[in-house]
Amino acid sequence: MSTLVVASAGNALVWIVWVVAAFSCIASGVAVVSFSNPFYSALALIGNLASLAVMYLLLSAEFVAAAQVLVYAGAVVVMFLFVIAYVGPRHETPWSGGPSWQTIGAAAAAGALLVEIVVAVGMQASGSLTHETEVGATFGSPAWIGRVFLTDHLLAFEITSVVLLVAAVGGVILGSHTRRATV
Amino acid sequence: MTGGSWLCLLAPLAGTILILLGGSWLPRVAAGWIATTSVFVAFAGAVWAFFGVRDSAGHHGEITTAWTWLQSGSFKVGLELLVDPLSAMMMLIVSGVSGLIILYSIGYMDGDEEERRYFAYIAFFVFSMLLLVEGGNLLMLLIGWGLVGLSSYLLIGFWHERPSAVAAAKKAFVMNAFGDATMVLAFFVLIAHANSLSFGVLNAHLSSTQANLVALGLLGGAVAKSAQIPLQTWLPDAMEGPTPVSALIHAATMVTAGVYLIARTHPIFEQARTIELIAAGAGALTLLVAGLIALVQTDIKRVIAYSTMSQIGYMFLGAGVGGYANGMFHLMTHAFFKALLFLAAGLAIHALAGEQDIRNMRGLGRVMPFTKWCFLAGALALVGVPPFAGFFSKDPIIASTLNIGWYGYIFYACGIAGAFLTGLYTFRLWFLVFPGEPSPFVREHYHDHHGREGAWTMLVPVGVLGVLATVGGWIQWPPLWEPITHWLAPVAPTLAAAEVSSTQEYVTSAVTVLVGVAGIALAWAIYSEQKLAIPAAPFWRRLLENKFYFDALYDRIFYAPSAGTATFLRREFEEPVVLQTGPDLGEATLETGGLVRRIQTGLLRTYVLFLAAGAAGVVLAFLIAK
Amino acid sequence: MLGPDTAWYLAVAAVLFGIGALGVLIRRNTLVVLLSLELMLNAGNLALIALSRHWHNGAGQIFALAVMAVAASEVCVGLGLVVALNRRDLSLDVDTLSELRG
Repeated sequence: MSTLVVASAGNALVWIVWVVAAFSCIASGVAVVSFSNPFYSALALIGNLASLAVMYLLLSAEFVAAAQVLVYAGAVVVMFLFVIAYVGPRHETPWSGGPSWQTIGAAAAAGALLVEIVVAVGMQASGSLTHETEVGATFGSPAWIGRVFLTDHLLAFEITSVVLLVAAVGGVILGSHTRRATV
Repeated sequence: MTGGSWLCLLAPLAGTILILLGGSWLPRVAAGWIATTSVFVAFAGAVWAFFGVRDSAGHHGEITTAWTWLQSGSFKVGLELLVDPLSAMMMLIVSGVSGLIILYSIGYMDGDEEERRYFAYIAFFVFSMLLLVEGGNLLMLLIGWGLVGLSSYLLIGFWHERPSAVAAAKKAFVMNAFGDATMVLAFFVLIAHANSLSFGVLNAHLSSTQANLVALGLLGGAVAKSAQIPLQTWLPDAMEGPTPVSALIHAATMVTAGVYLIARTHPIFEQARTIELIAAGAGALTLLVAGLIALVQTDIKRVIAYSTMSQIGYMFLGAGVGGYANGMFHLMTHAFFKALLFLAAGLAIHALAGEQDIRNMRGLGRVMPFTKWCFLAGALALVGVPPFAGFFSKDPIIASTLNIGWYGYIFYACGIAGAFLTGLYTFRLWFLVFPGEPSPFVREHYHDHHGREGAWTMLVPVGVLGVLATVGGWIQWPPLWEPITHWLAPVAPTLAAAEVSSTQEYVTSAVTVLVGVAGIALAWAIYSEQKLAIPAAPFWRRLLENKFYFDALYDRIFYAPSAGTATFLRREFEEPVVLQTGPDLGEATLETGGLVRRIQTGLLRTYVLFLAAGAAGVVLAFLIAK
Repeated sequence: MLGPDTAWYLAVAAVLFGIGALGVLIRRNTLVVLLSLELMLNAGNLALIALSRHWHNGAGQIFALAVMAVAASEVCVGLGLVVALNRRDLSLDVDTLSELRG
């Protein structure tokens, strides 16, 4: 991991922004998992999504960052909040009592995954993560995304729209009232 | 002549197959006629083969091969039949006597539920016996040997609902199997040292040990099959089978196979002269022991069975000292008169609805005269009174022992004593059953068959055999005319040691006849006129009634340890270990299933945990592989 | 590139993924499980975007958008299930929804 820090004001700024964003991302993630009130968990998710959007901006993915805020934070989380409000208060005490076998197992599995990913990235990528290619200004812009969607990855675009349609229909069916006449 | 041999062999087999294919559609009587016809066709084939040999130059006979059956390197065995003087003589005897007995069976077995099975078995037996005598090499002979043992087992145990019959069949088969094993071991020696099982190999020069081993193995087989000491205990028990079976298998044909074997393989026995003399000794001992035991038997068939054992002892004696023609001639006459005795006894048993105890049969001659006279002819032939058949065949055997050495005199004495015993037990039987006033039992149980003593299918064979028992011996009277000895000379020449002078011949004949008649007279005195009482002699009586304790001895040596071992193994090993394996496996599977079932908790979180742990494991595997 | 290397972003993504996995495994409220699932998906997205930037390959961003769309659909269906459960007065505790048992 080359940590050659170019001493420049721009670079320092980027670093600061990155540290803040990363920290809030992880902190809000912990918050999502920890709160006993699901409402608070959903609110913490908003913070998580916002910090992720900031990091996307740092990675020259402007369109994706905007989509993240609009779609995720604007639609998905709102849906969550609606349903949480509809369902009512459900308090759960996840951290009470001692760690059960399930908890220990879960921690072990999650920890193992984490370590393995780090090792994998560290080991394997040592060859392929050294060269960073320069990107142009258009990389990640909406116009560029739109062109790539409609030329190179047209199939993915169409299938995604089909998936969305199916999900919408499924949501309607699941949410409809139960039919009493015909079983 | 080879066509005759194939016809003779295959006709009974065709008969069996026809009866098997007919199944229950075949009328029962038709099965009997199919069997009889097939065996008479075989007789025609035998006659054809006989004339073929007679007309051929040198009378050496011919081997006809169907195909090569076994081949291993340079060792070859073909599916071969041999037609030579010895086999032609046996073919005639076997097919002729069998035909008569099977004809008799049509009447005897009439009405039995499983008549078709009987005729299929008996036709198969005739096929097996013909294969034995026609076999062109030792292996074909062995096949026939084994198949007659099988047929004997099937037919002794024919009435399989009777436990005694089943036990007797098993006993016969096991003792015969012992003989088969020794024969096979002898064959192994032959294959190892001479690389062949053809009859010619018997002339090969083997070392003295090898020759002795081979001869001993062959002797073991002969002794088992012919019920000589020490393997004789199965023959009396074999009387559990139907009377025609006893007549055919255990008198006329199968039990004489041992004598045929010695005659056929005589070159080996001559190389192992000691073993041959042991054969003669076994014959001499058996003829005495069997004669003694016959004195106390009360079952009519068992008397005749012990008589068979005794007469085969004579045949072994004759063949063992080197007089093969003498042994074969006695085999022929014995087939006639022993079959006659059994079939006549069968007439009596059939007329008395199955009764076999001679103490109940007094005075039967009054109501069954035909049976009485035929039985008398057979008895006189058996004792050896001229001009009946046994006189011509038995005396040369006794005489031939005179010139072989000091032990020959012992054999001579045994032969003479045996003649006395033969007269005694045979006429004990005749005097107890036929003459005098009919006993109350006879009056009550006798029933005739439409005014005659039996069906015509039963009377005709008895009559024919009666004639043969009377005149059958006239074909040879050493030393005056000896066609049979000359006939067999190309294949089984009499040894010089067995040749006797005319004087010895005549003297022996006279002595034997006198002794036999003395036996008859004694029997007349004791059993008919009751002038003399039966001596008490409790020790001897017990010894004879227990058949010299052979059965008890074998029971203790062989049966009891085997049964004990089997019970022990069953209790200690089979039940706890083998039989438990099934239930144990089942229980283990159920337990494992129960353990595995605990994974299915129903909780979503458990399943997801397994998912995550599995994913971690897979990634780890990939990392390690890299 | 200015700021931290791609490897740092990947590290953040890994940690976020682990936290999300922990949440899925430990929490009993269905809604919180779904939220933790979102965390994991977002972690994946972050990794995709970072590597897309690293290798100058637009497919990564396209993929990330597709993931977003799929995540939205999945949330829609999942919340529909939650609503249906609630309408039948069933508990939302995943430990009680345990009829798939051996």
